[in-house]
Amino acid sequence: MTPLLRVARLLVSASPRAMARGAALTLVVLLMGAALLGLSGWFITATGLAGLAGIGIAFDVFRPSAGVRLLALGRTAARYGERVLTHDATLRALAALRVDLLTRQAGLDARALARLRGEANLTRIVADVDALDGIVLRLLLPVLAGLATHAVVFLALGLLVDWLVAWLVLLGYLPLAALVLRRLARRGIAPSAAAEDRAQTLRRGLIDMLRDREALILTGTLGARETALLDVERQARAAARELDRSEREAGALLSLVVALVAALALLAGGWLVQRGDVDAAAAAIGLFVALALAETVLPLRRGFAELGRMLGAAERILQDDPGPRARGPAPDRDQDRDQDRDPAPPVPAAGAPLLDWRRGPLSLMLHAGEAAALEGPSGAGKTTLLLRIAGMTDAPADEIRVLGRPPLDWPEDLFRDIVTMVPQRSALIAGSVRDNLTLAGPATDTQIWAALEAMDLAAAIDERGGLGVRLGERGAGLSGGQARRLSLARAILRRPGLLLLDEPTEGLDEATAERVLAGLRRALPETALLAALHRGGEHPVFGQRLRLAR
Amino acid sequence: MDSPERPTAAPPERGASERDASEGRASERDARARIIAPVRAELRRAGLLAVLAGMIWPLQAAAIAWAIAGWATGTDVLARSLAAALAIGIGGLVRAGLEHRSGRLLFEAADRTIARERQALLLREARARAPEGSAAVAALALQKLPLLQPWITRYHVAMTRVAVLPALLLLLTVSISWAIGLVLLVAGPLIPVFMALVGMAAEAASRRQLAEIGTMNDMLMDRLSALLDIRLLGAADRAAQDFSARAEALRERTMAVLRIAFLSSTVMELFSAIGVAMVAVFVGFSLLGEIGFGTWGAPLTLGEGVFLLLIAPEFFQPLRDLAAAWHDRAAGQAVVAELEAFDRAERVTVVGQGEPAAPLAGPMSLELSGAVAALPARALPLPAFAVAGSALIALSGPSGAGKSTTLAAIAGLVPLAAGRITVCGRPLGPSTADAWRARLAYMAQAPHFPDQMLADYLDPLGEGADPWHALDLARARQVVEHLPAGLRTRLGETGGGVSGGEARRLMLARAILTGGDLLLADEPTADLDGETAAMIIAALRQLKAGGRTVIVATHDPALIAVADRTVEITP
Repeated sequence: MTPLLRVARLLVSASPRAMARGAALTLVVLLMGAALLGLSGWFITATGLAGLAGIGIAFDVFRPSAGVRLLALGRTAARYGERVLTHDATLRALAALRVDLLTRQAGLDARALARLRGEANLTRIVADVDALDGIVLRLLLPVLAGLATHAVVFLALGLLVDWLVAWLVLLGYLPLAALVLRRLARRGIAPSAAAEDRAQTLRRGLIDMLRDREALILTGTLGARETALLDVERQARAAARELDRSEREAGALLSLVVALVAALALLAGGWLVQRGDVDAAAAAIGLFVALALAETVLPLRRGFAELGRMLGAAERILQDDPGPRARGPAPDRDQDRDQDRDPAPPVPAAGAPLLDWRRGPLSLMLHAGEAAALEGPSGAGKTTLLLRIAGMTDAPADEIRVLGRPPLDWPEDLFRDIVTMVPQRSALIAGSVRDNLTLAGPATDTQIWAALEAMDLAAAIDERGGLGVRLGERGAGLSGGQARRLSLARAILRRPGLLLLDEPTEGLDEATAERVLAGLRRALPETALLAALHRGGEHPVFGQRLRLAR
Repeated sequence: MDSPERPTAAPPERGASERDASEGRASERDARARIIAPVRAELRRAGLLAVLAGMIWPLQAAAIAWAIAGWATGTDVLARSLAAALAIGIGGLVRAGLEHRSGRLLFEAADRTIARERQALLLREARARAPEGSAAVAALALQKLPLLQPWITRYHVAMTRVAVLPALLLLLTVSISWAIGLVLLVAGPLIPVFMALVGMAAEAASRRQLAEIGTMNDMLMDRLSALLDIRLLGAADRAAQDFSARAEALRERTMAVLRIAFLSSTVMELFSAIGVAMVAVFVGFSLLGEIGFGTWGAPLTLGEGVFLLLIAPEFFQPLRDLAAAWHDRAAGQAVVAELEAFDRAERVTVVGQGEPAAPLAGPMSLELSGAVAALPARALPLPAFAVAGSALIALSGPSGAGKSTTLAAIAGLVPLAAGRITVCGRPLGPSTADAWRARLAYMAQAPHFPDQMLADYLDPLGEGADPWHALDLARARQVVEHLPAGLRTRLGETGGGVSGGEARRLMLARAILTGGDLLLADEPTADLDGETAAMIIAALRQLKAGGRTVIVATHDPALIAVADRTVEITP
């Protein structure tokens, strides 16, 4: 249960005031409901008695009838306020949680980022977060408000009617309802967790199948994959069916609890009237209030039925939280972020080269406007070196200096303004060409066209309909070489001081590759370029060549 | 890749939210025919049970009223109390039983409907891709289809109850007091009128919310796949802001739906509360003798008064339930509207079924003549060429000319708009495509690794073949040996965990292990250094020497140089 409490605290602490007001209103709704029925029952019985006794004229009808109207209207208003407040506060907290989860993923180091599977994280951020809304709305608030209502009603019944009735209502409702809900929680927790788990598996599997569809068709295994997914779908529904049965049973049992307590209150009322301890009007209050309290238990069944789903989601979301940021270079960077708020941001040492790298006998120094080719066989560590320079993985302490400081000593924001990298498997997003190019920040159409022109892509984009043309998932709609050049144009628009390129000309024919390298240099005359290449290191753009051995 | 997909128009779901009211009404008929008609029998039975359950309360109320009247006059106090308590208990038991049974029928009806729609999606989407992103499809199947459940389980039962119970309770009320009946008669029908007004706003709000769910899913999926790029571009904060805006938009749209629901249920509750309060006050004054009209002669008794008070809320309850279910109906119809927009979406259909098939008989031969690939936005003419028996053919041409599309069309992944492709002497079509594909292996340009272990990835047919020979041939043995978990590794979506060249060698190993006598390879030497590229080229030549036909799309001059023939593609 601890994960549920931690998530509940997270959700409540996001907007404690709105939650507190919502909780107060929840209580008010339940209390007013009980008071309304109690008062109405008393009022009618009392007027009946007065009528029978022939003292109708002396009976004060106005205050009770005003009370009935006040309670009826007040309860309605309170319920509206309660619902809007608690739902709004919860949804706000959940939206913030989604963003937090994404930010947390974005802060991982390069290796973790490259291995990250989109669909798994998607279910985390969408489905798991969705599952959490019930923790406050359908469990915490109704249970607490229900308990508080029973406490108040107990005192009121004891003082107004008789302690026997008060005890009967309290002991009839609380232990029995608790037993039924406990049974529901125990029986429901496994199917509820299984239903959610299967549904998430199905969601991931469906995305994976759609993204891998060509390979599945080619191997003739699409049908088999579909059958496997249909199987998961059946399991999900079987679990949902089992849960539904438990939930309906609990619903039936809870309504029996209500009938039982009402019957007991009626019997007790009759007994008290018979003994002459209370009059019929007061005795009626007990019965009517017992009926009204159904509202404190019946709605709880849904929250308890979802327990397994919520618990699993809470565990997964909390487990993703690395806690005190334990992974990779993240801790340093976080500290740096804090330092970033210091009045004195790091100032580059005067005249320090943009890049100063040394490892054993090898070294490389790049100033503004210079360019170097990084060569070496597959597996020599070219990509790793670029990622180290880009501050995405740990590096030996004195290997790399960017403007005089190790990459990981830089505050992230400042560093990304200086250094940009285009990785080997660069990814585009669904959306327009413009969306893709302005991913990192706004740019004018003139700047965008200039960058496209430099990458020899302007004509092709123009022919397709300009910057507004929409690309599909992962940038589908462009050829491999066009996608490569679009991601290079995206980097040009950042105008970095140091641009790291991993295989910039891969997938391009020689003539295009030539134009792309020259265009890059022309578009960014002041930028220091470092490009890892399998071929083409002899291009005149590169003033230096560095060869890594395996 | 000269992708078989295309720049797409705006997703239809965006259009769906903006459709006009007349189309919305047409879709209501369709929605009922599609979702409700097949389960009408269950719904009718469940509604009947629910009506029976609703008839129990007046009996219980009468027993309670009778007991309380006894308390007031002091007649048979204990005996009446006991009898009424029994009535409450037994009535409660019967009612719980009826509702339990009705609930089961409803669950079955909803379950069957959702299963049918979801299975249809599952079996269609991979075969005929719509422009929607995979995450939006998954959201429709897993997040939105379940919204049909409340509509199916609540709306029709609520309708049936409304048709019977208020009239019955009104009749009971009028038989005692026509004045109170009048109160109910005035307050009651306002509810459906108001409901209809709210319902239209509710459906529009639901559609906007559903559209936002799809958009958020797709956006998030793409951002998650591009996280490394986003981070390296220094765009992490901006991506978080963009996503934050989306998450916030979803919250707002969800709140808009909820606010309408809350507001309308508040108004319903208000009518009901005012009605009940008026009944209580009227009964009170009548009992005191201050109001002398409203009954059929004899003055109202205490028992009658209590009975009227007890059944008044139940008169309003079915109407309020219907009002609440109206929103479920609105949400359900919004889902159906999206399903139908999705049915109408323009799709790229694969040729054939994607099922296992015996390899096409006859000697290997392939001929493209006048073939034009039917990409959704445009038709792309393919080069004409023929090949038979063992050969190494290179397709070359500038970036964007259609090399990858040619390979995709040969594999039957893209349908033709004109011309034909002849395979093993027979036209490539729905009846031959699966058998044709059983003879070929394909190596795509962009690495994509499904969520499975490397061992399963390398051996997609699950034949249990030893992967090491193929790994040796593709020069990928070391790649696997260097992975900490070896063949049990799960790679990232685009091969995270190995370098670009290593990923490509793994793809080649898979293509070799797949077997077949035609290998289609898209840029097999991309991301490789000269030495490794030379080894891969040697491997491809070795495959050709072993009798296979190899067709590569490439820019690599070294690969073009060793090809038996080069087919030049011009844009």
